[in-house]
Amino acid sequence: MTASSTIRPADATGHRRADGPLVDRWESEIRKRRLYTALTVGLIALLTLASLIFANETNAGKFFDRLPYFFDFFGDLVPRDALEPVRALFDLPSPYDNGSFKYDYPMGRHDFIGTLYIPEYFMAMLETLNIAILSTLIGFTFGFLLCFLASRNLVRNFWLRGTVRRLMELLRAFPEIVIAGFFVAIMSLGPIPAIAAVAIHTIGALGKLFFETVENADMKADEGLRAAGASWVERVRFGIVPQVIPNFMSYTLLRLEINVRASTIIGAVGGGGIGELLRLSISRGHEAKTLAIVFLLFCTIVAVDQFSAWLRRRLIGDQAFAVA
Amino acid sequence: MLTIEGVTKRFGEAVAVDKVELNIPEGQMVGIIGRSGAGKSTLLRMINRLIDPSEGNILFDGTDITALKGSALRRWNRDCAMIFQQFNLVPRLDVLTNVLLGRLNHKSTFASLAGLYSREERLMAIAMLERLGVVQSALQPAGTLSGGQQQRVAIARAMMQEPRVVLADEPIASLDPMNAKVVMDSLADINKRDGITVVTNLHTLDTARTYCERIIGMFEGRVVFDGTPAELTAAEARRLYGVQNEGFSEAMTSTSLSADEDERPAPMRPLPGNRADTQLAEERARALA
Repeated sequence: MTASSTIRPADATGHRRADGPLVDRWESEIRKRRLYTALTVGLIALLTLASLIFANETNAGKFFDRLPYFFDFFGDLVPRDALEPVRALFDLPSPYDNGSFKYDYPMGRHDFIGTLYIPEYFMAMLETLNIAILSTLIGFTFGFLLCFLASRNLVRNFWLRGTVRRLMELLRAFPEIVIAGFFVAIMSLGPIPAIAAVAIHTIGALGKLFFETVENADMKADEGLRAAGASWVERVRFGIVPQVIPNFMSYTLLRLEINVRASTIIGAVGGGGIGELLRLSISRGHEAKTLAIVFLLFCTIVAVDQFSAWLRRRLIGDQAFAVA
Repeated sequence: MLTIEGVTKRFGEAVAVDKVELNIPEGQMVGIIGRSGAGKSTLLRMINRLIDPSEGNILFDGTDITALKGSALRRWNRDCAMIFQQFNLVPRLDVLTNVLLGRLNHKSTFASLAGLYSREERLMAIAMLERLGVVQSALQPAGTLSGGQQQRVAIARAMMQEPRVVLADEPIASLDPMNAKVVMDSLADINKRDGITVVTNLHTLDTARTYCERIIGMFEGRVVFDGTPAELTAAEARRLYGVQNEGFSEAMTSTSLSADEDERPAPMRPLPGNRADTQLAEERARALA
């Protein structure tokens, strides 16, 4: 041990006192880091305050002035009796039926077998789920194929890697709803533009998460295969994929949850599914229908989250915690 | 015949390998020794073309392998198998699949992606695992095996490549003495029975003496010793490792088990002057009891 890092015996307070150039440098580094942290926190606080003031001033009405009216919306949502939302949900006839759209619950029934039927909102929810699942599958497929071309550890060619990365950025640059609006204009209303829109965003989003996972992969296995004369595709398939697939699955299931919500929203701009019905019933003031749809949406999203958590455990649980 | 002609490798300013000239005839078992950072690993990696030399050529049977590209390069990778210190298996794939991965260069990419291994290849893989004594773990994920077993699986994979040369980069540096012996015996067996050239980097002098017919010593990127084990005197070894007379004996770093092992004093004893740790341990033991 050199003189520069000698540690003196503990002093009366029980603290060890240290000195020497090394310790001085360490302390100055710590001081510098604390200063930067304090500056960053201060800057964030300042920006938050500034943006709050800006938001408050640019709004037509002041935030706090309008706050008491917040619950008016919920007042409009009170149905005529407690069973009305249930009737709306299961397409049962309403005692208030006066021929208007507001109480025409049985009209939406989809015939199934004999006298059995599928209620309208369940069918629409199924359509929305379908959009989410299909677009997640498409997104996974293309994201998977593209991510290896974007990884620094697998592709040395700057231009190829850059092109693929820019392509992914382009695909995820616009929110689903913007792409959907664009596609609805081209392909007209329905689930097809919704699938296209969600899938495009998913390719970009999953591709980025995937290639970052690939860049963190342990390259020892890859080196072993390189030394065995494996081609690039073989190295990816046998050296990289077994390592990254649990993470890929995890991200894809997370994306599925996000896509269920996204395809609901897209319904509101003409993408079909439950979102469209929700927008219509809110704007027409059909409180029982709105409540039924919101309830169904809530249950579905909770169910999808639970299901994907369960599936993730089943698919990757064992491997993720195995000693590698 | 493997010929290395004036090969140099620079990493930025640092020269890892400095104008190395070597001739290795077919079927020789060669050990390369030297301190960490002497350029041993870099030299092996250049022979296998995992990295490219900055200068010089490497020839194998007259072919300049430093000029190879694409599929010709991958064929050379196959002919020149590599064993790594950290085994470099695919931990999540089972042992048998790992061994079959040695066949990748013998088949089309499509066939290997579809998992189309012939019955002969599977039998060959099993036979190789049997020969190396790890056949009982054939269906386990490779990552769950012990270090010694993983290294034997790695050797089996290398043998599946049907190589002309086997390079081993510190194959026993992370293994215990028994496993180290098994792995070195396997490499020697490959060399004797199959007549494959084996070039191996080693940390321990006595391993090199025991197994290799030729020892090459490297120091700061240059070859400073090239001869038989008998010619490698203690004085040569000291020069090679750049140590003065005091405090250097082969037995200190040896991993071999000799017959008189029992008579040697146990290396782990509490030092007489340092009683604090022992006292603390005794107090803890009393408190627990």
